[in-house]
Amino acid sequence: MARGELPRNLHRAFRGLRRPQCERATQSLRGSLCPAAPRCLSTTAPRPAEIVESQENFTAAPPIDFEQQGKGFTGKRLLKTLRIVPASPSYFSAKPTFTDDYISLLALLRRNATLPTIPKAEAPKVIWKTIDQYRVMTNEPVRNMRYHNMLHLLRRLNCIHPGLMPQEVRDAMLRYKKPSQPGDIKANPAVIDELGRAKGVGRRKTSSATAWVIEGEGEVLINGKSITSFFGRLHDRESAVWALKATERLDKYNVWGLVSGGGVTGQAEALTLAVAKALMVHEPALKPALRRAGCVTRDPRKVERKKPGHVKSRKMPTWVKR
Amino acid sequence: MPPPPASPWPLLQLRRVCRLSLDRPASLPVDTRACLFARPQTAKTACFSTSPARWANPSPKKKGLVAAPKRGTRTLNVKRGKRASGQSTARPPAVGERKAQRKRVVLSNNNALPVPGLVDLDKSNALSDDIRGHVMGIPDLAVDALRAVDAFKPTQGWRLFRRPATLIRTETARLAGLVRDVQAPAEGQARATVRRILTGDRLSGKSTLLLQGLAVAWLQGWVVVNLPEAKDLVNGHTDYAPLPGSRPAQYTQDTYTASLLSQMVAANSALFAATRVVTKPTLPVPLPATATLKQLAELGIASPEASWPVFVALWAELTHPGRPPVMLTLDGLSHIMRESDYLSADVKPIHSHDLTLVRHFVDHLSGKVPLPNGGIVLAATSTSNAPSSPALDFSVLLAKARARNAHPSHTPTWNPYRVVDQRAMECLANVDTLNVSGLSKEEARTIMEYYAQSGLLRAKVDEKLVAEKWSLAGMGNVGELERTSIRLV
Repeated sequence: MARGELPRNLHRAFRGLRRPQCERATQSLRGSLCPAAPRCLSTTAPRPAEIVESQENFTAAPPIDFEQQGKGFTGKRLLKTLRIVPASPSYFSAKPTFTDDYISLLALLRRNATLPTIPKAEAPKVIWKTIDQYRVMTNEPVRNMRYHNMLHLLRRLNCIHPGLMPQEVRDAMLRYKKPSQPGDIKANPAVIDELGRAKGVGRRKTSSATAWVIEGEGEVLINGKSITSFFGRLHDRESAVWALKATERLDKYNVWGLVSGGGVTGQAEALTLAVAKALMVHEPALKPALRRAGCVTRDPRKVERKKPGHVKSRKMPTWVKR
Repeated sequence: MPPPPASPWPLLQLRRVCRLSLDRPASLPVDTRACLFARPQTAKTACFSTSPARWANPSPKKKGLVAAPKRGTRTLNVKRGKRASGQSTARPPAVGERKAQRKRVVLSNNNALPVPGLVDLDKSNALSDDIRGHVMGIPDLAVDALRAVDAFKPTQGWRLFRRPATLIRTETARLAGLVRDVQAPAEGQARATVRRILTGDRLSGKSTLLLQGLAVAWLQGWVVVNLPEAKDLVNGHTDYAPLPGSRPAQYTQDTYTASLLSQMVAANSALFAATRVVTKPTLPVPLPATATLKQLAELGIASPEASWPVFVALWAELTHPGRPPVMLTLDGLSHIMRESDYLSADVKPIHSHDLTLVRHFVDHLSGKVPLPNGGIVLAATSTSNAPSSPALDFSVLLAKARARNAHPSHTPTWNPYRVVDQRAMECLANVDTLNVSGLSKEEARTIMEYYAQSGLLRAKVDEKLVAEKWSLAGMGNVGELERTSIRLV
């Protein structure tokens, strides 16, 4: 597009207007490293080329035809007759990308303002880019407030009725969405295999457990041992089959579990999760009951790491006088 | 005018030095300077040494040099009874009191409710199939006999109930069937000797099954002989002596044998008192003519050094034709399948099978010596107090494979690179096992109802509760069932 070429045109146009002190400053700054590329318009690092899909159609001025326009003029007088129009309307702001985006979104909304909308609560869930991500993308120090205003526009666009959402709005919004959206990743539905087994995997602390649940009489084998020989404490035994006990299914299913890693309690609670997940394959309607019993959510807590200068993760060394 | 008297101070010092040098041996160096400047009122012992004075008055600890208290710790010592010296003023328990406390067997609990309709075992119903799956009381006389042979263990839950009662489970019924078969063999056949090793998980009721077997046998009028802990035989806690004339050397345990004799007399008193000695034993102590078995045994009890010959004589009497069958049991089999803790005269460990009592039991278990009048030899394994005995483990695996007629490719084979206890392997070569597994749900329900009737389980015993406890107890492991439903540990 014309934007990429603009600096070159301008350079050419302004070559004669360069002020001497600017040149001196760049020379003194850059030294002898790259003396062939003097720059004085921009004070920031060069911006990588961006793909701007949804900019408003803004036409730059046609290239200057010196033969036609400059009849009878030469040198500085010729230049005085020229009027330069940049490709971006916000070119003369320090960094134009955000303003361009904002203006284009405003124009988009203006065009589509009459389309029917749905309430905000019913609009599809979208996770927009954070301001930091936007800053990195545009390489521009955008202010919080301004980005916030742009998000208002985006949310308003998102509220257009999904059935009537124009393609250009969809494409425009894509630029501001995070790469992964909620509901993108869908787990494969678990199945009961041909032998009637449902598999579930659970983790807790550093233990991980796999449980196969099958319809039966309430027999439990863990790593090939009976539950009493594997878990000495009654509390751990109850934890391991808690999903079945809380839903009163202990005498309806058999459990065959494999556990590894961690300690006894972690293994028992990893089994809780594994058995609950396998049970939900057999009876998906039990999910609310299992959630109430605390068998659905993985407990993310782990041992906090030790830090340098501390005795343990948070404990500081004993205070010593001198 | 006489000259003014000199100051008395240097004179005194000089005199002191002279006396010191007179008192001390000349070789001792005397620091005269220290003495010269020493004040007369300091310690009189030895003015050049400071240690006695320091001993007498140890210098007080400098204050203010202790570290500041840790943040979050209490500076006020509120722990009572924890003296700085760490010694309590209470008297330590007397010798043997702690062990007595540990080994005490309590068989009744007056706070538990008597169970209505509890039927006692007796001679007629003990062998019938009708009592299978029921809880049966153990009659008082049988309790006395079983207590005499130490069949009740402190780890079992007898102390929770009003009186001893036991569930006749599948394995008990099977054992009762063996008793019945021995007692009434088929036409024209002699009474058999049945030998079994009881195996099973921890707390699955192996020792209790021994007790049930002893109870059933005692009720049928059998001779019951129990070695309650194999560990006591081999852990080197009893006196031992080489058996004269034995080659290779065997060792008797006289005190233990004497106490075993007294247990036998107590448990089988009626039979022993009524039976007269018919063989002519040669004993180191005089035996009156027409003595009873009880008198014979009491000879060994009274003089432990004669206890082993008396035991041999008594066993010969018991195996004499026409006498009742014998129930011979032992708990903790793996202890006697290895070297014992005793040492021989040339300081080599004695193999357990060289101890005469162990030898006696092992010969009967292996089938080397049969019981002429029939009988049952039972050995229970233990999973909580068991030294590793690869030979026993392997033999049990082999016996189980044999029992299910496993294909030779599926029978276990001994790893030839492992060292094997050959004597243990030989004696266990053809002994069958009796596996004690978990209770069925019906049996679990029966015993839980018994708990509830005893007032120990305060819940409605229904399908749901039984299923839950059965699962949590590892598919009906009876000890775990008791722990989960009564003891709650």
